[in-house]
Amino acid sequence: MTTVAEPAVRPMANPSPVTMAAALNRALADALHEDERVLVLGEDVGTLGGVFRVTDGLAAQFGENRVFDTPLAESAIVGTAIGMAMNGLRPVVEMQFDAFAYPAFEQITSHLAKLRNRTRGRVALPIVIRIPYGGGIGGVEHHCDSSEVYYTHTAGLRVVTPGSPADAYSLLRQAIDSPDPVIFLEPKRRYWSKESAPLTQSDLRLDQACVRRAGTDVTLISYGGALGTALEAAEAAEDEGRSVEVVDLRSLSPFDDATAAASVRRTGRAIVIHEASRFCGYGAEVAARLSEQCFHYLEAPILRVAGFDIPYPPPNLEQHHLPSVDRILDAIDSLQWQETGARRATVGA
Amino acid sequence: MGTTCPRRWERIVTSAAVARTHAPSLLPSAEPLGLLRLDGSIDSGSELSMPSDEVLSTLHRRIVLGRRFDAQATALTKQGRLAVYPSARGQEAGEIGAVMALREQDWLFPTYRDSMAVVARGVDPVEVLTLLRGDWHCGYDPYEHRVGPQCTPLATNALHAVGLAHAAKVKGEDTVALVMLGDGATSEGDTHEALNFAAVWKSPVVFFVQNNGYAISVPLAKQTAAPSLAHKGIGYGIPSMLIDGNDVAAVYAAVNKAVAAAAAGGGPTLIEAITYRIEAHTNADDATRYRDRAEVEFWLQRDPLDRIRRHLVDRGLLDDEAIAEIDAAAEAEAATLRERMNVDTQLDPSDLFRHVYAEQTETLRRQAADLAAELALSKE
Amino acid sequence: MPAFLLPDLGEGLTEAEIAGWHVQVGDTVAIDQIVVEVETAKAVVEIPVPFAGEVSILHGKVGEVINVGSPLITVTAPATLSDSASGNVLIGYGTPDSARRRRRRNGAAAAVASPVSAPANANSAGRAGDRIPVVSPIVRRLARDAGLELRSIEGSGADGLITRQDVERAVQSHRESNGIDPPPAISASPAGQDQHPVGPDVVRIPIRGLRKTVADKLARSRREIPEATVWVDVDATGLLEFRASLNADQSAPKISLLALISRFTVLALQRYPELNSRIEGEEIVVNPTVNLGFAAQTDRGLMVPVVPAANALSIEQLSNALAERTARARDGRLTPAELTGGTFTVNNYGVFGVDGSAAIINHPEVGILGIGRIIDRPWVVDGQVVPRRVTELTLAFDHRVCDGGVAGGFLRFIADCVESPSHALRHL
Repeated sequence: MTTVAEPAVRPMANPSPVTMAAALNRALADALHEDERVLVLGEDVGTLGGVFRVTDGLAAQFGENRVFDTPLAESAIVGTAIGMAMNGLRPVVEMQFDAFAYPAFEQITSHLAKLRNRTRGRVALPIVIRIPYGGGIGGVEHHCDSSEVYYTHTAGLRVVTPGSPADAYSLLRQAIDSPDPVIFLEPKRRYWSKESAPLTQSDLRLDQACVRRAGTDVTLISYGGALGTALEAAEAAEDEGRSVEVVDLRSLSPFDDATAAASVRRTGRAIVIHEASRFCGYGAEVAARLSEQCFHYLEAPILRVAGFDIPYPPPNLEQHHLPSVDRILDAIDSLQWQETGARRATVGA
Repeated sequence: MGTTCPRRWERIVTSAAVARTHAPSLLPSAEPLGLLRLDGSIDSGSELSMPSDEVLSTLHRRIVLGRRFDAQATALTKQGRLAVYPSARGQEAGEIGAVMALREQDWLFPTYRDSMAVVARGVDPVEVLTLLRGDWHCGYDPYEHRVGPQCTPLATNALHAVGLAHAAKVKGEDTVALVMLGDGATSEGDTHEALNFAAVWKSPVVFFVQNNGYAISVPLAKQTAAPSLAHKGIGYGIPSMLIDGNDVAAVYAAVNKAVAAAAAGGGPTLIEAITYRIEAHTNADDATRYRDRAEVEFWLQRDPLDRIRRHLVDRGLLDDEAIAEIDAAAEAEAATLRERMNVDTQLDPSDLFRHVYAEQTETLRRQAADLAAELALSKE
Repeated sequence: MPAFLLPDLGEGLTEAEIAGWHVQVGDTVAIDQIVVEVETAKAVVEIPVPFAGEVSILHGKVGEVINVGSPLITVTAPATLSDSASGNVLIGYGTPDSARRRRRRNGAAAAVASPVSAPANANSAGRAGDRIPVVSPIVRRLARDAGLELRSIEGSGADGLITRQDVERAVQSHRESNGIDPPPAISASPAGQDQHPVGPDVVRIPIRGLRKTVADKLARSRREIPEATVWVDVDATGLLEFRASLNADQSAPKISLLALISRFTVLALQRYPELNSRIEGEEIVVNPTVNLGFAAQTDRGLMVPVVPAANALSIEQLSNALAERTARARDGRLTPAELTGGTFTVNNYGVFGVDGSAAIINHPEVGILGIGRIIDRPWVVDGQVVPRRVTELTLAFDHRVCDGGVAGGFLRFIADCVESPSHALRHL
């Protein structure tokens, strides 16, 4: 097995804008370079470089032993990755689209999540399953699901999702380094969003959330594709005189109680925002947890702005389903402001 | 571009045609291959190579020990010491023969019925029975004897075998993975996917299918329309063998051949071993609902132990004294197993929260503490 | 003599019918010998006996149904066989648990007497039995901390929802403690009772607001607590000299007498922690932290500000805390939180010019220390009668949490500290 001798490119002082797809690509390249046990496999990841180009150029750079295409069988992709990990390798597997991972659900929940526990820690499965998820790209049937709760509900799995290119780099590097299996959800609508930021490993741990935007009046809690919408809504709310704090969860499982609760204790109001359906959606867990932990600090119920309880709509109707800035602002307005007599901040303060 | 494309395409077309010409060699024999007839005599016309006398003797001994273990486990279950026990009685040739043909560096991927094989591989019997006892979902360290955890979702570990073998190949290590499957498991999608991946990657894997006639109550005729389960191999480009699964010499020889081929870079082999499950599916099953006593009697006449014993006795390699010694050894092992299994285990509920992740999370720490507090109150 | 109990033979089965015995009483059986055939819901099963010996009891006839977990066969083990000595009684899986013993529940803290839980507000559209809806937990708590009954607050929100403004208004009017609104029906004397004084000079003072809260609390204390009182006269001359020397330093804040005695009280509570407790249900809950309340008479009435964690404060810190709270109490600037949570109270009624008091314990505390006036009295020192600065200390205590020995010991300790402050140094 050969590795390429080129050193990884060091980030520049004033980096030019990089897309999330490129950031992920760089993360894979750096990981492949630094650890010869890392493999990348999936459908169309080799020659084609992935349907979203996230694995672009990697097969050429690292060879087909390390970056290769598999036959079209998701259960086998994950199942054989499990076998590889049992034998000391660190596979990074790609599921082509969110819903395409369902045939692998058995392998993920019955084996990937459980083997460490079953063998009392003797068998570790340091596998990353990368899954492009979510809507907002006008994708046709079966290409826009958000299945995060099936995985967060499965003990033994880590589930993370980046909201920005720099975070995508850092989270993927950390996910690959983690001794636990990680479901890595990539918000496909953000693949092409750009950020000027150096691609380095952040100080934040794999299981930590972070405050993306500080505020005093209300906390918006979001992740992945909807994070961008939350930030937009926060900006818009500023113009209406509200100071909005935005928490990017980053890690859906485990959940960073400390960061989220500290924020809600400060603001006293919270809204969870996600694309996936509201019923039994991720927001339900967040709302329940924060109610338990922050009950006495609350000025209003914890709300959720989420998709409707329907199968994901066709492209031409999806804009009605996805959380929008206006919907978030409406939710903010309904948080019983007259109770605190909270003065609206003057514009520009 | 202009000129290379047609040439490359031609090469692909030609090599595919060649493969199709040679395809029939992938097919299994029309009749199951064997080495020992029912009366213990050798079938000298067999394609398989007879194992050495030493190997034959070891196989015989291991079958006796394995059968006694299986019987003891069955008894323990009826006495409430195990939650359930799927017996492999009648399938000793497959259980023992396949495992004995593996080298130390090879891996075994068993199903829930293959306790006998796992014990034969060297895993402590009490550890093997931990899962069926209900104490933990796997009682042994897979790396110690290179045995995957007993697999309940059928065929899912076939993929693990392929992945592990592929990794070995990538690392340049000489390791062959053998996965045990039942006739029912061959219908699962994962079997299909595993065979396909193994063939495409030329993984060093042996797919060992014990066709014991039933998937719980569903007979083979309702499971497949294929001429034999071994016939499925050609669809993937995998060489396949159909063998007499109650002939331990044949099982050993066939698996040995497949392991050697895999180790030499020849890729996977599919072996179907025809055998019969003498007991019901588990102690909780009533087999009289779907098969009759006559059928069981028929297969009792084809007992794998009888066959190898007769052969060894006829050749003067085994006498009454030796048989008595082996029986005594088996009894001693059974007694030890009883003793050890009749002791109540002390389970630690806080184990539930360990090993969910590499490092215990805050939430798990809190939940463990909550449970500990609850238990402390119950003690008062 | 071990009995083999019928195990669960198939993942949750509960019983089996005896189909046939393979042995009789008196037969010798070997380990794993098949002794009986039973029929379950799923199958007919032959059962091997797990021990060897002589069959002594067959626990059922053919055709009888036996429950899982009940004895099936008893075998007398011969003395020589070691297996039988294990005496393990085997229970099958899935055997219904002999009713799992209910465990003790976590002692949930008995809620402090709260005026808030009340039947539905007459204005509310809520169903009978619903809690009174308050716009948020914080506002609900505001009302509770201020000692307000929710049913006395009119909700201006939708369907009678009590809003923050409603509570703030109510708090304000209670602080003023003179009636703007007509008194609620409950506090007025019921009609038809005997002998109301009538006439133009009869003054009617409604018991409302702070006065009502205090009155309710005092009544409850006397109603519930079987209290006893001990008292002692002490020579405080030494203490006064000690205080004078402490306060000789002009640059340092003045240490009050109350602070000194409070510090002795805290030390005494650490020696006699039963007096720093409360009764919850059937338990005495002892608190390691002393939140010291002290009675303060203000224009609005009797208040008991609390110094939290007084046990962690030095004399100077305690003195400053007492002084600061006293000042704020006078100005009406104490928050509700600062008036709650006390674990013991000191009561300097000496300022009223009296010596002793069987004070009313500040429920749900279990003790209250009273300090009388300090005046010159004749005292015997070294056989001579001389005037000394003498004061009377009284302890009213809840006799359920301790006996006279503890109470006496507690009071004696404080008295010793007062008479000889250096005595206290040993325990600082």
